[in-house]
Amino acid sequence: MILRLATLSVPVSGRALRSACALGLCAAAVALLALWVGHYPLALAQLFPAIAGDLGDVAQMVVRDHRLPRILCALGVGAGFGMAGAIFQTLLRNPLASPDVIGFNGGASCGALLAIILTGGHVVAGALLGGLASAALVIGLAWRDGLQPYRLILVGIGASLTLSALGDLLMSRMDVLTAADMAKWLIGTLASRDWQDVALIWGGLAVLGPVVLWASFPLARLSMSDDVTTGLGLALTPLRLGLSAIGVGLVALAVSVAGPLPFVAFVSGPIARCITGGGRPAIGAAALVGALVVTLADLAARMVPLVHLPAGVFTALIGAPVLMWLLVVQFRKGRF
Amino acid sequence: MTQSARLVAQGITVSFGQRPVLKDLDVALPTGQLTAIIGPNASGKSTLLRALARLQPVASGQVVLDGKAIHRQGSRAVARKLAILPQSPTAPEGLSVRDLVIRGRTPHQSVLRQWSGADAHAVEQALAATGLAALADRPLDALSGGQRQRAWIAMALAQDTDILLLDEPTTYLDLPHQIELLSLVRALNRDTGRTVATVLHDINLAARFADTILAVRDGAVCLQGPPEQVITEASIQQVFSLPCRVIKDPVHGTPHVIPL
Repeated sequence: MILRLATLSVPVSGRALRSACALGLCAAAVALLALWVGHYPLALAQLFPAIAGDLGDVAQMVVRDHRLPRILCALGVGAGFGMAGAIFQTLLRNPLASPDVIGFNGGASCGALLAIILTGGHVVAGALLGGLASAALVIGLAWRDGLQPYRLILVGIGASLTLSALGDLLMSRMDVLTAADMAKWLIGTLASRDWQDVALIWGGLAVLGPVVLWASFPLARLSMSDDVTTGLGLALTPLRLGLSAIGVGLVALAVSVAGPLPFVAFVSGPIARCITGGGRPAIGAAALVGALVVTLADLAARMVPLVHLPAGVFTALIGAPVLMWLLVVQFRKGRF
Repeated sequence: MTQSARLVAQGITVSFGQRPVLKDLDVALPTGQLTAIIGPNASGKSTLLRALARLQPVASGQVVLDGKAIHRQGSRAVARKLAILPQSPTAPEGLSVRDLVIRGRTPHQSVLRQWSGADAHAVEQALAATGLAALADRPLDALSGGQRQRAWIAMALAQDTDILLLDEPTTYLDLPHQIELLSLVRALNRDTGRTVATVLHDINLAARFADTILAVRDGAVCLQGPPEQVITEASIQQVFSLPCRVIKDPVHGTPHVIPL
């Protein structure tokens, strides 16, 4: 099937399109469910007037000022992590890769902790600086006549382990209450996000989204061996650097809104590829899977009574079994 | 008999660390012919092919394509003239044969125009020429070794270039599949006038299928010419250090090497 629009012509697989529609519907359904359920009971009939109406009552405040921005943040953050994961997995030709591999999350955690210790605040700025610095360091250390996936992975794993130990060390230097607060942020949470955060994440996605669409054409071709890709006329090193920058940009955006939510970037790509099939990178589907996982995780975190758990506790708890189930179904079909 | 060569190496030197692999090597690929590059292991024959395809940077000298240094031309422009099938190429799991062949169209496509009538035509032709039309929707990893190699050749064909370079395309194939693949390459050369160069291990198959034999030893070209002239007992001894008898193949009339 060929998608045509003026001078644009892009081949689209029917299965990819169908699965993207299904995933989009699922994400929309979960988002509506998350708007409806919560500690403040809401009749289903109240939901739409509360979103669109002009009642000015408690229901409207709960839905519009609390639940809606939080859910929109969850969707955007999930999409960002999902796309970044799919980009790195394709770029590094490794289904187990994720932004953690190039040390972004470890750097972000250490940066946030350092910011708290040194300045008493500026968590997000610290996280971004730490994440970008460690990503640049890993790419720099792995550089030799270009960027080789396996070197990047090995250097990145070393850096991640070092940074995680450094994070523990920094954590032990704090007083207990700050440490407890930071622990929550470091797991990743969407509690009390407001419309400013929504503007940040969706504004960022609106800028990076078209870049990702643009990049998905060369990205699909980078999944073949280096000689093949070069033979087809693609410039490996600039493409790898550019795509890494896009991936890091997406993670930086998502981390600045929700903290380093674990596992979303890792799990979204493989789930998306299982669903869409065909050996393509499936970045769009990965964005939808990420959005779905984070929204579900945040809904689960909100539904646990009495304690305020961060959403990051549930991302792996929800994502991992889905991935395992999909992989087991594939083993049974004899695909591996 | 030949037009001027379009792909030429001029005094190229390639070293891996301290070890020189190609030493001040000059060669011109005869246009429109099927050239087989032979030579003992570690003679530099694959490196020569990779250097000709701008996959291997050269320390000195230059590779010239259509009168212009290859590294001064855009990689995409080169990819519209020259296709290379490297050794042991890999594709992502689950990729279908058709999608692989479509990727051969990359140098003719752009982000905005990812598909055109010419793309569709070239892909269908490449699938038909390699006899893969019926298998086009199968995943590459579900094919046999011979079929998979044909799929990679189909990708290189879809690139629609005048020059096609193949790096040991028959490795890991059994004899019937080697014959099948080389017959396909031979037919592609004859039917379309493509210039083809392929690295081969088997001297007898090279002699049977190629117009020109290019023998490499110790990083230098030591023989180049038609098999009947080039493959002799003395030359095989010189290139491979292999004592042998050379007879005329009773079926094809080409030289046939029998190691002693």
